[in-house]
Amino acid sequence: MSSSAAIHRIPPFTLVARLRTWWIILRISIEERLVYRGEFMLGTLMRFLPLVSQIFLLQAVFNATAPDNSAAGTATSAHSSSTIAGYTYYNFIAYFLLTMVTRAFSSMPTLASGIARSIRDGTIKKYLVQPVDMLGFLLICRVAHKLVYYLVAILPFAFVFYLCRGYFTGGWPPAPEMAAYVASLVMSFLLGYFLDATIGLIGFWFLEVSSLLFVYMLLSYFLSGQMFPLDMLDKFTIVRSITAGDLVRMTPIQYLAYFPATIFLGKIHGAKLLWGLAGELAWLLVMMGICRFAFNRGVRRYSAYGG
Amino acid sequence: MGEIPSGFGARDYHFRACLDYIGNVRIRHGLADIALNSYNRHMPTIEISGLSKAYRVYQKKEGLLSAVRGLFGRQYRYVHAVRAIDLTVEQGEFVAFLGPNGAGKTTTLKLLSGVITPTSGSATVMGHIPWRRENAYRRRFALVMGQKNQLWWDLPAQESFRLHQEIYRIEPAAFDRTLNELVDLLTVRPLLQQPVRELSLGERMKMELIAALLHSPDVLFLDEPTIGLDVVAQHSLQGFLRHYQELRQITILLTSHYMKDIAALCRRVVVIAGGRIMYDGSLSGIIDRFSSYKIVTLQWATDHIPGDLARYGEPLESIAPKARLRIRRDVVPEVLAAILANHPVEDVSVEDPPLEQVIAELFSQVDAEAADLVKAEGNL
Amino acid sequence: MSQLKRYLRVLMVFARNSLIRSMTFRTNFIMECISNLAWVVLNLAFYVLLLSYTQKNGLGSGWTQYPFFVFLATIQFIYSLVEAFLMPNVEEFSELVRSGDLDFALLKPIDTQFLVSLAKFDWSALSNFVFASGLLTFAMIHIDHQPSLGAILLYPFYIACSVAILYSLTIVLAATTVWLGRNQSIYEFWFYITNFSRYPREIYSGPVGAPLQFVFTYLIPILVVVNVPARMLAKPLTTGDWRLAAFALLATAASLAFGRWLFNRAIHSYRSASS
Repeated sequence: MSSSAAIHRIPPFTLVARLRTWWIILRISIEERLVYRGEFMLGTLMRFLPLVSQIFLLQAVFNATAPDNSAAGTATSAHSSSTIAGYTYYNFIAYFLLTMVTRAFSSMPTLASGIARSIRDGTIKKYLVQPVDMLGFLLICRVAHKLVYYLVAILPFAFVFYLCRGYFTGGWPPAPEMAAYVASLVMSFLLGYFLDATIGLIGFWFLEVSSLLFVYMLLSYFLSGQMFPLDMLDKFTIVRSITAGDLVRMTPIQYLAYFPATIFLGKIHGAKLLWGLAGELAWLLVMMGICRFAFNRGVRRYSAYGG
Repeated sequence: MGEIPSGFGARDYHFRACLDYIGNVRIRHGLADIALNSYNRHMPTIEISGLSKAYRVYQKKEGLLSAVRGLFGRQYRYVHAVRAIDLTVEQGEFVAFLGPNGAGKTTTLKLLSGVITPTSGSATVMGHIPWRRENAYRRRFALVMGQKNQLWWDLPAQESFRLHQEIYRIEPAAFDRTLNELVDLLTVRPLLQQPVRELSLGERMKMELIAALLHSPDVLFLDEPTIGLDVVAQHSLQGFLRHYQELRQITILLTSHYMKDIAALCRRVVVIAGGRIMYDGSLSGIIDRFSSYKIVTLQWATDHIPGDLARYGEPLESIAPKARLRIRRDVVPEVLAAILANHPVEDVSVEDPPLEQVIAELFSQVDAEAADLVKAEGNL
Repeated sequence: MSQLKRYLRVLMVFARNSLIRSMTFRTNFIMECISNLAWVVLNLAFYVLLLSYTQKNGLGSGWTQYPFFVFLATIQFIYSLVEAFLMPNVEEFSELVRSGDLDFALLKPIDTQFLVSLAKFDWSALSNFVFASGLLTFAMIHIDHQPSLGAILLYPFYIACSVAILYSLTIVLAATTVWLGRNQSIYEFWFYITNFSRYPREIYSGPVGAPLQFVFTYLIPILVVVNVPARMLAKPLTTGDWRLAAFALLATAASLAFGRWLFNRAIHSYRSASS
């Protein structure tokens, strides 16, 4: 490459070149994962099993609270009328199914522990040395992983949802709310990524991240709405008109399971919906910033110690 | 466990009394009689006859779904690890198994330990059939595998030894005595309280040996015990094994890659390759049996070496005034006569090729044969 | 019974070795105790929350608040014992098979199943046992029903039976690792199957629930695991309950026998890792 040609050539790190790199990484990751697709499908189907017991539990609960409390069974009048925290029996099942969809977007298995481990055993150096941004790289890998996962999981998910279509008494939400739903799902993916990555980056300062990670996992399981709809916390008033549920909904964790599910179920409309989306976006930007800041600081600290 | 007392009638009585006293041996209908009869004639410690082990090797894929799918028919081929071997080993012998990787040495040891069951053939060790895995048998032998650990990783060796004591039901007095003996012989006393994971490979091997010998086995199987160890550790281990064997006169089967182990310890070598026994005898005998060449070194009076030596034999690396030739042993006398007749040779020496080389050639030859065999057998 | 004494002594050494190991990693031990407790407490919190919404009928079929606490405590008694004494060995076993170290177990003059299923204990799992004791005491103080002396004595007995049934399940899982190789799915399988057992039997009703109840009571008897002992203390016992309890005895014996048979088959076809 002669020098005159070099002047007319585009320098290597343009957007195009970067996009091409991302595309190659994406493609390779996808190929790698498609090898195990049979395994994935079975595993995804099995992940719905605990829901079965929960459905039966709720059925028993609602039968017990039914006004006439006739013989145990499927008294549909009881199911359609009695509610817990504003959710009917059908709503509950639909809610749990929807949180599984949200979790399919926002869960980041082994992201935090992987980052922490690579810091601990030094393999993080390869990211620091190569002209690749680690956070961006890992994000693309996750995108690839998720895309493959959806490709493979769409079948079992569709199957289960078809079986359970009777529980979705509200049907499909109207178009604008559907759009809001999709937007919230995409944002929950990104939010989940940056939350988990930040936890992992704590490994730059503390050697044992696993206990912190565990606490985070525990809290997120409880507070994200995976265990129960956060509306159930509304019966506990903390201060004036602010309930425990309100407090929990101020954290970013609710967007990891609860929030998108409520959009689909039509439990949140209009201004509240817009505020919710704005809140999600705000949290997303905040976490992006914190994550980036933690990464830069951590790298600087790491290099100072010689690695 | 005392020796079987002599005298026909007394033997009957004493033997039965011993068995009753031990109590844990389940005397099946007639077993005592059979055992008695076998003690009436001399029985080698290890007797192997026509022992074979073939494995089915499947195409293996990961994942639960593939595994489940695999239940409905898989592709496989047969690997004959051991092919109809016959072997007899007497009490107190120290026998080496020599062979290339995959020859079947370790498989044979595992068959004799009862870890795996054979496809066909029979074997008895001290009168027991190994793969029956009788507790009475398991208490009388030990297997040590190089680079494999049976001691608890995070705990001091002392704790693992204590577990051994309970499992093997060693009397406390005997246990203490044996342990002290072994610890002193192997000079590992300061290491007893250290977690096993903190020990070096050599030290770990020593602990493994102690664990294996705590219950004073009559037969010891060693699978590549010195592999991965540095020269000092190897030497130390060899010395210990030699000393222990002389002292206790136990029967030891050792497999190794290293000639030094074998040369140092065993008079009898069994060469196994391709699952078959190729040779069974002394170490020096291997050269006679397998090497068809001799190395002849000629020393010239002057520095000038003729360039046409190739017609007498294969020239090897030579430094003037010496020249080395590889000559077929059956023609050595004639060739030598011819050379001496035609050249002013000052000194001649005729040597066997080095043992390692002979064995390496033998193994590569066997590998080639084995590869052909696999091709021929195909997907049997 | 010198045999029994001998096995007990070996068990003591196992217990001691595991304890020494736990104490060398003390912070880990404490962290695990805390995390175990945290899960149980959160679980309990969820049920308290749920029960606060139900009226006096609780979860139905007589499982009101305090009887249900008894049920939860029973879950923890049983599963903490399983987590402490059985689960570490299942994980260890699949590693033994994969690395070929199972050979060493086969060399020892002691029953292989015993050696392989009880060698390692995880003492930190017993933190839940302690918690369950507290919960049970609390519940029994407030409960309406007064169990008979016989029922009280039968409670620990049936806890033991339940642990035995789950033990057989772990043996079955371990045996399958010999054939199917190492599989993460095995542990997921364990979780999904046993998850069904953590709810009162009665909830499995209706066109789908009734067959499920049948399968998981009479074919894979996990529904008797928590339900039978919990009933002893929590509610007045009906003839149906007594019949189920009798069946539980049969299920225990059958599970143990089946587990052992399967394990022996697996060991017989064990091929050992190549070397």
